[in-house]
Amino acid sequence: MNPVNYLQILQLAAPETIVTLTVLVVLGADLTLLRGKSIAARFNAGALLAVLGCASAAVFAFTRQAGQMEFNLFSGMLVVGQSSDFVKVALLVLTIFTILISTSGKFTDHVGEYLSLILLGTLGLMFLVSAEDLLMIFIALELASLSLYILTAFNKHNAKSSEAALKYFLFGGMSAAFLLFGFSLLYGISGSTNLPEIARGLSGKGTDPLLIVAMVTTVIGFGFKVAAVPLHLWAPDAYEGAPTPSAAFIGAGSKVASFYILAKIFTLGFVGAEGSAVWHGYVAGWTPAVAIVAALSMVLGNLTAIVQSSVKRLLAYSAIAHAGYMLLGVLGNTPTSSSALMFYVITYALTVIGAFGVVTVVEAATGGDAIANFAGLSRRAPGLSLCLLVFLLSLGGIPPLAGFIGKFFLFSAAVGAEKNLGLLWLVILAIAMSAVSFYYYLRVLKAAYVQDAAEAAPAIKVPGLTLFALALLAALVILFGCAPGLLTQYL
Amino acid sequence: MIWIVKNLWLIPALPLFAAGIIAVNKQPKRKLAASLAIGSMAIGFLLSLCAFAATLGHGEHGMFREVFGFNWIQFGGQWMDIGWVLDPLTAIMLVMVTFVGMLIFIFSVGYMAHDENFMRFFCFLALFASGMLGVVIANNLFLFFVSWEIVGLTSYLLIGFWYHKPSAAAAAKKAFITTRIGDLGLLLGMVWLYAQTGTLNFYTPEHTGCLEAVKINAMLAAPPAAGFAVVTAIGLLIFLGAVGKSGQVPLHVWLPDAMEGPTPVSALIHAATMVAAGVFLVARVYPLMSAGATLTAQGAPVTTALTVVTWVGAITAIFAASIAVAQNDIKRILAYSTVSQLGYMMMGLGVGGVAVGMFHLITHAFFKALLFLGSGSVIHGCHEEQDVRKMGGLNKFMPITFWVYFAGMLALAGFPLLFSGFWSKDEILHAAHGWSVSQVPFYLGCAGALMTAFYMTRQMALVFSGKYRGQPEESHHGHSAHAHSPESSAQSHDPHESPAVMTVPLIILAGFAILLGFVGTPAWPWFDGYLTGEEFKFDPSKLTEPGTLGLMLASGAIVFTGLGLGWFLYGKRQRKTAAEKDVLEAAQPFIYKLLANKYYIDEFYEATVIRGNAFAAGLCDFADRRIFGGAVLLVKYITLGLAWLYRLTDEYFVNLGFDTGCEALREGGGGLSRLHTGRVQTYLRVIGVALVALIIFLIWGRKA
Repeated sequence: MNPVNYLQILQLAAPETIVTLTVLVVLGADLTLLRGKSIAARFNAGALLAVLGCASAAVFAFTRQAGQMEFNLFSGMLVVGQSSDFVKVALLVLTIFTILISTSGKFTDHVGEYLSLILLGTLGLMFLVSAEDLLMIFIALELASLSLYILTAFNKHNAKSSEAALKYFLFGGMSAAFLLFGFSLLYGISGSTNLPEIARGLSGKGTDPLLIVAMVTTVIGFGFKVAAVPLHLWAPDAYEGAPTPSAAFIGAGSKVASFYILAKIFTLGFVGAEGSAVWHGYVAGWTPAVAIVAALSMVLGNLTAIVQSSVKRLLAYSAIAHAGYMLLGVLGNTPTSSSALMFYVITYALTVIGAFGVVTVVEAATGGDAIANFAGLSRRAPGLSLCLLVFLLSLGGIPPLAGFIGKFFLFSAAVGAEKNLGLLWLVILAIAMSAVSFYYYLRVLKAAYVQDAAEAAPAIKVPGLTLFALALLAALVILFGCAPGLLTQYL
Repeated sequence: MIWIVKNLWLIPALPLFAAGIIAVNKQPKRKLAASLAIGSMAIGFLLSLCAFAATLGHGEHGMFREVFGFNWIQFGGQWMDIGWVLDPLTAIMLVMVTFVGMLIFIFSVGYMAHDENFMRFFCFLALFASGMLGVVIANNLFLFFVSWEIVGLTSYLLIGFWYHKPSAAAAAKKAFITTRIGDLGLLLGMVWLYAQTGTLNFYTPEHTGCLEAVKINAMLAAPPAAGFAVVTAIGLLIFLGAVGKSGQVPLHVWLPDAMEGPTPVSALIHAATMVAAGVFLVARVYPLMSAGATLTAQGAPVTTALTVVTWVGAITAIFAASIAVAQNDIKRILAYSTVSQLGYMMMGLGVGGVAVGMFHLITHAFFKALLFLGSGSVIHGCHEEQDVRKMGGLNKFMPITFWVYFAGMLALAGFPLLFSGFWSKDEILHAAHGWSVSQVPFYLGCAGALMTAFYMTRQMALVFSGKYRGQPEESHHGHSAHAHSPESSAQSHDPHESPAVMTVPLIILAGFAILLGFVGTPAWPWFDGYLTGEEFKFDPSKLTEPGTLGLMLASGAIVFTGLGLGWFLYGKRQRKTAAEKDVLEAAQPFIYKLLANKYYIDEFYEATVIRGNAFAAGLCDFADRRIFGGAVLLVKYITLGLAWLYRLTDEYFVNLGFDTGCEALREGGGGLSRLHTGRVQTYLRVIGVALVALIIFLIWGRKA
């Protein structure tokens, strides 16, 4: 092993370092300078600092990612390359938006801690994206997960929040245990914790039962992170109980990083053990396992979403369904499908933050997140409901919004991934299910645009910063829908 | 490259700019409109003079020719260029158009002074000038065509300027549609030319333009199409455009009707410039027309295309001249005279080449503009009266107009030696005499010259000599178009001389009508040398060569005969009243009626083309209403029936099925949501079950 060059580590991990420093600054400022100020002021000042930190980290990562070579430190502990850097940029941008929509929140007076945890979660996700080693993956995953558990519990005035956090934590702990178990099996079979070396170690061994167990536990560990059926059960409770910005963070940033690393583990670590999920051509491997999870997620997520009355739960089930679509990108196992996956998941994350942002405002104004609370929104807050229209139609996949083009990329990549359109059955299922999904998105929009508010409802005052963030998100959703090349060039 | 070549575009751009500014200004800014239009023409005229001076020097091939162009539009891999060419042909036309145009603009200030749409008029005039100058400088058939269409459009707008008169509106439409028939030919020729040569540039610095030897030879080598050599066919198609624009038989019918427009328009468009554009087009593509020619004894080329040009020109010349004899509207006489003279120009191009035709074009532009503006002055002075029978004795009322008109009339008639028309017409007749194909055009030309002298004398005699036959009380009726100023209506109804703004341009034009001939006499053929780039010298002995002298004497004799006859019939014996029968009508009622009715060409077209068109329209209407309409109705009823059927299926099968399906989905959702118990123990159990189930599934698959 080469002698450790700390300067190089610092250089390569500079975005992470900047975020770490930001955590300390935000926490320190909140505890010292901002002590005794109003919550709104603390939130605004802290958010400003956090946004600045994230933005500078993003700018740093973005400017260096162009035309950079791949750096690999300590055999996969920290891998810095073009794609990981771009995903980090995306994560940081999503974090910025999450922070922007949190500023109007009234769920906590621990502003510094709240913002620091969001940043720490981001940090975990950033390390996760950079890792190619099982140990580092696990540590990063745990850093992110632990932050998310706490964020879920952050609304101390609401018992549901604590309950949801506990469920999330228990569920997460269990699946982490499974994941760790699987990792240990992998190490045992292949003799390495580094993904490419695992692949080398596995080659020629065939699919022995231990490997299958390792695969299934990996699917379970990450299936939990991305909320895929049947590892989704925590999600509706967590989305509903958590403070809305936390839910947005769980649904957005966490999902981007998890999908990135999931695809990486399978495509790098399980080379040769793909098996086949082709209709009537089933061969054991990780793809059939993922295919089953994907199919179940699409069906169950969409159908269950229909009967929800809480918009947050509805978004949770919609997230499960979307996880199902996204797994198609993992299944495709080609460069095209992974770039389609990243396009989809990033635009999805932007959209979902926006949707949760709208919910935050409506919840604050009406005291609830039931669909009935959205009645007459178009007259009470026209700008807000226009944003909601864009987000929900994009989630449904209406051109020319980003959700449509993302689905198009994803499904066409999946269709083209296997010979003779082998994955067509899953794609057809996905398309049929996205048709179903319109039903529940339109229910919300119908409430917002067609139904009248129950009583004489006053206009909703939307905080300027939030409206700005939402409008920006909506604009991005439209922009990436009309000009997907702006994003795909980096993926 | 000389600066003027690069900046040649300014000449058409300035009037365009002026037209734009006039168009966006509110009425009534008469001074602004007039000064912009006239100013743009004046600057254009100065630039044209510079261009003209530049072309006086000789270029590399004996003649000055420089082009400037750049890429404009891309078709596939090919670029369409836009560009302009400066050569003697362009320069002489530029000078003529800007100068005559400027004078006419100035004249219009007086003529249109009382018109409420003064600004619109000047806007159109300037736009027209821009289009015409674009035609002149274009080095590309495409740009040429675009400008040509601008010219056509503005001509339409200007003829129909007094659109509240139904006859003006009809004349405008007639002009537009008739010339459009010719334009179709031009467009086809253009497309074919492009297909053959891959370029529409006339000349290029690399000598690969479609009028240059390389491409012409390539076209000559191409296999013939439909019995014509390709180059002949293209030439004839392009000539069709010229026939329409220059009012040649059989597309001449629009030009006399176009006199419904204001008189300056008639002068500008339908005498001096636009109608000459067709002649100019033939001159411009002359290399194409004369490709693969055999030469006559005099060195003039003979090709099928040029033969057609000659015959069309000769027939037009005599045909229109004979009609002019029996017309009574002062402008119509001039209109038919114009058609006839355009025929001469075409004939000149056909038998003698560019210089011969163009010389007549230039001289004609001046004296015909003079005549038209003079007639405008007469009409203006006689309170909008246009019937020559109701005039008479005007030399006493309007002496300046009389004298300048007299000069223009002698120029047109071709009065020997002194007047420009003599020299230019003589050159055409001279060339026709030497034409190897046939002598008939020559005789037709001579007969036409006789009639020209005759009908112009008739007009002069009727308008200016004798006693004034106008009836004051009638003159009020035709006034709708021009609101006369109070002082003029307060005066007596005697004719009056026009103001200086109108007479000064007339005097200038008269000067040119006389003098211009001397640049192209046989003794000093400067014009010929200038256009063709050949050497020449002053040689008075050429005048007395037997061929030339004899011809000059003969043509002089013809002109005198015509003048004498006209004077004998109309000058000596003055008609007493306006209603009296014409002398010719009394002698030969049948022929006179035939001529007065323009050989019934309009009626012929009415009976054939228009009737046919109406019939076809009726047929189409019938087909549209009954057959297609029936089909549409049928489709409609079928669609309605199907829609009814679909609705039934929809309501009773699909919707029911869909509703059931949706219900099932919702119930399924409800059922699935019941899986979600909220008990975390269950959740964790599910993980375990999932693990086991997936492992079993995969291991089972592995064994399978």
